[in-house]
Amino acid sequence: MQHLLDIKNLSVDFHTLQGRMKALRNVSFGMKKGRILGIVGESGSGKSTVLWSIMGLLAPNAKVIGGSILFQDQDLLTLSEQARRQLRGEAISVVFQDPMTSQAPLLSYGRQMADILYRRREMSRCEKRGAAAEMLGKVGIPDPAFRLDQYPHEFSGGMRQRAGIAMALLTGPNLLLADEPTTALDVTMEAQIIHLLRDLQAETEATVAVVSHNLGLIAELCDDVVVMYAGEVVETGAVRQIFHAPRHPYTQALLECDPARIVERPARLPIIAGELPDLTSPPAGCIFADRCPYTLPLCRTEKPPVVVGTDGGLARCHIQSGAVAARVPGAVMPAASGPLARAANEAPLLETRDLNIRFPTEGMLLAKLQGRQPKGLDAVLDVSLTLHPGETLGVVGESGSGKSTLGRAILNLVSVTTGKVLFEGNEVQSLPEHKFKPLRRNMAMMFQDPNGSLSPRKTVRALITEPLQIHGIKERDLDREAERLADMVRLPRPLLARFPNQLSGGQARRVGVARALALSPRLVIADEPTAGLDVSVQGEILNLMADLQAEHGLAYLIITHNLPVIRHISDRIAIMYLGRIVEQGPAEEIFRHQHHPYTASLVQGVPQPDPDRKRAHRGLKGEVPSLLERPRGCDFVSRCPNARPLCHEAKPPHRGVGPHRVIACHFPLA
Amino acid sequence: MSGYILKRLALAAAVILTVLVILFSLLRLVPGNPVTIALGPQATPAAIAHYSAKMNLDQPVWVQFATYARNVVTGDLGEDIFTGRKVAIIVGEQIGYSLMLMVAAMGWAIVLGIPLGCLAAVRPNTWLDRITGVLSVGTIAIPSFLMAIWALLILSVQLRWLPAMGAGEAGDYGDQALHLILPAFAVGLGWVGYLARMVRASMLEVLGEPFIRSARAFGLTPQRVIFSYALPVAILPTITLIGMGFGGLISSAVFAEVIFARPGVGKLIYDSVQARNFPIVQGAVVVTTALYILVVLLSDLLVSWIDPRVRRVL
Amino acid sequence: MSVASSEPTLEIRSKARSARHAQLRVFLTNWQAMLGLVLVVIFFASAIFAPQIAPYDPNAMDIPARLAGPSWQHLAGTDQLGRDTLSRILHGGRVALTIAAIGVSLSLAIGLALGMLAAFGPRRLDSLLLLIFDSVRSFPTIILGLATVSLTGPSLGLVMVIVVITSIPQYARVTRTAALVLRGTDFVLAERSLGASTLRILWHHILPNVVGPLLILAAMDVPVVVSLEAGLSFLGLGVTPPTASWGTLLNEGYLVIRNSSWMVIMAGMPLVLTTIGFTFLAEGLRDILDPRMNRGR
Repeated sequence: MQHLLDIKNLSVDFHTLQGRMKALRNVSFGMKKGRILGIVGESGSGKSTVLWSIMGLLAPNAKVIGGSILFQDQDLLTLSEQARRQLRGEAISVVFQDPMTSQAPLLSYGRQMADILYRRREMSRCEKRGAAAEMLGKVGIPDPAFRLDQYPHEFSGGMRQRAGIAMALLTGPNLLLADEPTTALDVTMEAQIIHLLRDLQAETEATVAVVSHNLGLIAELCDDVVVMYAGEVVETGAVRQIFHAPRHPYTQALLECDPARIVERPARLPIIAGELPDLTSPPAGCIFADRCPYTLPLCRTEKPPVVVGTDGGLARCHIQSGAVAARVPGAVMPAASGPLARAANEAPLLETRDLNIRFPTEGMLLAKLQGRQPKGLDAVLDVSLTLHPGETLGVVGESGSGKSTLGRAILNLVSVTTGKVLFEGNEVQSLPEHKFKPLRRNMAMMFQDPNGSLSPRKTVRALITEPLQIHGIKERDLDREAERLADMVRLPRPLLARFPNQLSGGQARRVGVARALALSPRLVIADEPTAGLDVSVQGEILNLMADLQAEHGLAYLIITHNLPVIRHISDRIAIMYLGRIVEQGPAEEIFRHQHHPYTASLVQGVPQPDPDRKRAHRGLKGEVPSLLERPRGCDFVSRCPNARPLCHEAKPPHRGVGPHRVIACHFPLA
Repeated sequence: MSGYILKRLALAAAVILTVLVILFSLLRLVPGNPVTIALGPQATPAAIAHYSAKMNLDQPVWVQFATYARNVVTGDLGEDIFTGRKVAIIVGEQIGYSLMLMVAAMGWAIVLGIPLGCLAAVRPNTWLDRITGVLSVGTIAIPSFLMAIWALLILSVQLRWLPAMGAGEAGDYGDQALHLILPAFAVGLGWVGYLARMVRASMLEVLGEPFIRSARAFGLTPQRVIFSYALPVAILPTITLIGMGFGGLISSAVFAEVIFARPGVGKLIYDSVQARNFPIVQGAVVVTTALYILVVLLSDLLVSWIDPRVRRVL
Repeated sequence: MSVASSEPTLEIRSKARSARHAQLRVFLTNWQAMLGLVLVVIFFASAIFAPQIAPYDPNAMDIPARLAGPSWQHLAGTDQLGRDTLSRILHGGRVALTIAAIGVSLSLAIGLALGMLAAFGPRRLDSLLLLIFDSVRSFPTIILGLATVSLTGPSLGLVMVIVVITSIPQYARVTRTAALVLRGTDFVLAERSLGASTLRILWHHILPNVVGPLLILAAMDVPVVVSLEAGLSFLGLGVTPPTASWGTLLNEGYLVIRNSSWMVIMAGMPLVLTTIGFTFLAEGLRDILDPRMNRGR
């Protein structure tokens, strides 16, 4: 098959304060015409750098130091800036990662799209407008003629990404590049965008390259895959080959780490131990040698050869060339530590009863003048949960589901409007801080942003021991305590002297865990514990959390949008939508069978990292409505495939189904 | 829409009220009889009698203030203690000169400073950028009144290229324009550097935004990316800054008018301070405050006209 | 997941100490910053030791030598009364230093407190304070100063009041903006979840993060304050003769500008040099404190 684009030996350096970083080294791969290629890798793999090299829009501190990029028989790297600009937006176009920041804020969509068509001198202004409206319609934006005059801030997140796709396809490019096109979106929106891209590709027959860290997206969308690690291509091949018979140890490990591929609930999640090599002086041998379970001396001294597989795929590995014998895997997956003991019949540690949190959206004064209640939005509505000692409860929801607010309300960081929070049987909601403070020794929180939740000008040592100081615990030696906690979360002791911005995401996360556990709490609320971490690292944190739970009998309330992750660590799951729990029950049961249509779409909406299990399911239509426009009936009614008249009229009450399940649906799925 | 405008008007009223309160209480906090303090030692007995009657000194303080505020709002700013002319008319005669000076000074600063900053940002680390950088520090380093004195010394006293004193013959626009050059140069020069720096910094920031990269990825010409996509966003903080800088502009104008013996509100206030003609000082301060409110409001409106995100809030 | 334009995530291997060395090196190799530092040191030294280094008594008159240009006897010439301009400039520096030191530290302290109050206090108070900051900052304060002088007569105290009132809003705004950003971050929420009191958060976690920008602002503010004092004294609002200040010197020079140009040139130089000194120093400091600015260079 003919290649539309051929990258040969591309090498790119970045000039940084740490020195010359060799971000890409001898990257070579081709893109076949009319197919979708996925470029997959974790952070630091250089996958986005490849994309921006193709566009010729690398950052000013980047320099292409060798190689060629052949596009339609021209080497893009030898073309003048003028000639490259002629290709951009016409022959090659891009869909961007974050639609919030990648569209001009002060120009209407009509204007931005007309600007993209600026080379079409033969088109009148009216025709350009027509073409833009047609394209907006094609990507599923209703009422496009009207929407053209709107500005990006007037679009919702999903709509913006659709508009971004429309802008990229407006000129009918031969090559479409997509940079993490769904990373900024919720799960249900992600499914919609994947389908949209696939349909549009089939229709336009454009060649597409998708850059992503998301294996599910790659498996669903792509025909061919390029796997990158630390600036090198380690393996290429057809999607089935990569996902079913990966040849490079990194590809194998990456796939094993993806929680969505793990069906059985393992005692421990697999990880890839170690860290990315220092790219200012990359190792002489195989780039993956430091973390590879099969490494032999040869791997450290000699670059592995490119080995062509039976299907035409390539792998750079000494094992494939036969120079190194493949032993039985030294286990990417550490040994299991046996099932965790969980006590469920004890008295609940934490309980919420009909918890409501309302944020006012207007001042009291205006409402009082008009003699009514001030307007507001209900971030959390009628939430009742119980959590037993030693148990893990997962709260799952998309953005705007109120899950984070719920966690903060339990910790008295947000005030409760009505309802109760019971901790160890005592009512603790809306206590004044001086009364609540003693309780904080027993309940701790881990925050979403690992580095951002650490005070930037304090050392790790000061941060870890701060809880002791806040609570006036003087009898313990702070230095010894810092070392004890660092050991507990497996944080190397030398890191105690560092500042948060000198830590990697995984290390910062460990500091967060150490802080949460400094006072030996009984309850830990973890907000997105794996956010910002690569697949190969997130297992480490989850395993650590599980070990600490087994050791100290902690109860976890884990707040997340990431279903595959929560599946493996939760005993029970509660699904939230628009501030309300729609379904609650044991994790395994919920994954086996869903009663609420929203739960069903969430569980089935996760892109499967298996090309043979592409979903027939089209995902949910529409987007999560604003909390300000909460439907009168069931909250889910605007997106529910089975909505009936009753659903528009009345909110379904919470009711029990079987011994452990609670749902809020008028017409549950059978 | 109405809420925003109401808020703005309330703020304007609050500012005016504060200034009135300050002026009013100044007169009463300084020990002695307010009338003699206000009118100074050279006041005529007739003026003292007139002023005492007007100030309602036998009434409670709040009545005095209410009378004062009502007079101001209805446009009665009092009378000149020497000539008895209406202060409103005297200030009205002078304000045109000050406005002309401020517009000319800010005008040339904007015309030069913004493109300079823009160019420096587009071509960072070139000779143009470096010259702009040195020039900005240089022009900001020299306070405007020092600039005025030095400009007077060099261009007028030594080289005799430009007229130094006054505003030129009434009716002779060419002469007036010639007289405007030096003060406008002195007042505006610092702003050239200031604006250039501001625009350069905010332009550099905007040029690093993802949406600029998208515009480039769609193959738009560099000119269009800079002028249609980056500049409008980069200019927004600068507009607010110009509105904010109005106070500084008036201060510079006071110095320029004093140094170049040029008619205007600043010179009027300065002369009246020297002559202890408090009614004029007071009237001029009130008028300046009103002007200030107008300018701030205008810059707000301009920003919202450019920025659709704010427009919607309006 | 990283975006191509930024460098891919790299573990930073340098120790904190060597990072600080690198910062120092950046500062020491920046000629502008070093020039700024030298000028600032001269500003302080000449003001503090003015009585020791001034060649003449600043108020000693020598009528025959009046309005002289620079010479070996009088390096910066003399004024209308034959007083040595250099000695008067050196003594004028004391006025400038006093005003700058008191004015800047006072407005920094008040501005810092108000800014924190605005950021961490109730919302309503924040909007009120913000309105006041903005109104005061853009208000032609000098006009009100003139009005006051017309009643009270000139005084150094009045200059100080004007300086502090006009400077506070900047410090308050910078503090507020920085503190507000920090207030919304996860780390402040994390501190609260650990039970840290608002005072502890402000003192241990907010202050260390705003103090850098504030010091830079203070360095930038010194020349503004010095110029303001000079300007007010020039108009006759501040220091009154015979006390020497850079403003009164300029005024005296202005009055004789057609006879002798030396005075306005000489009396203007310290203002310019002080401004350049503090501005360069502040920029040098910003470059090392705010690494983001570095990357653009």
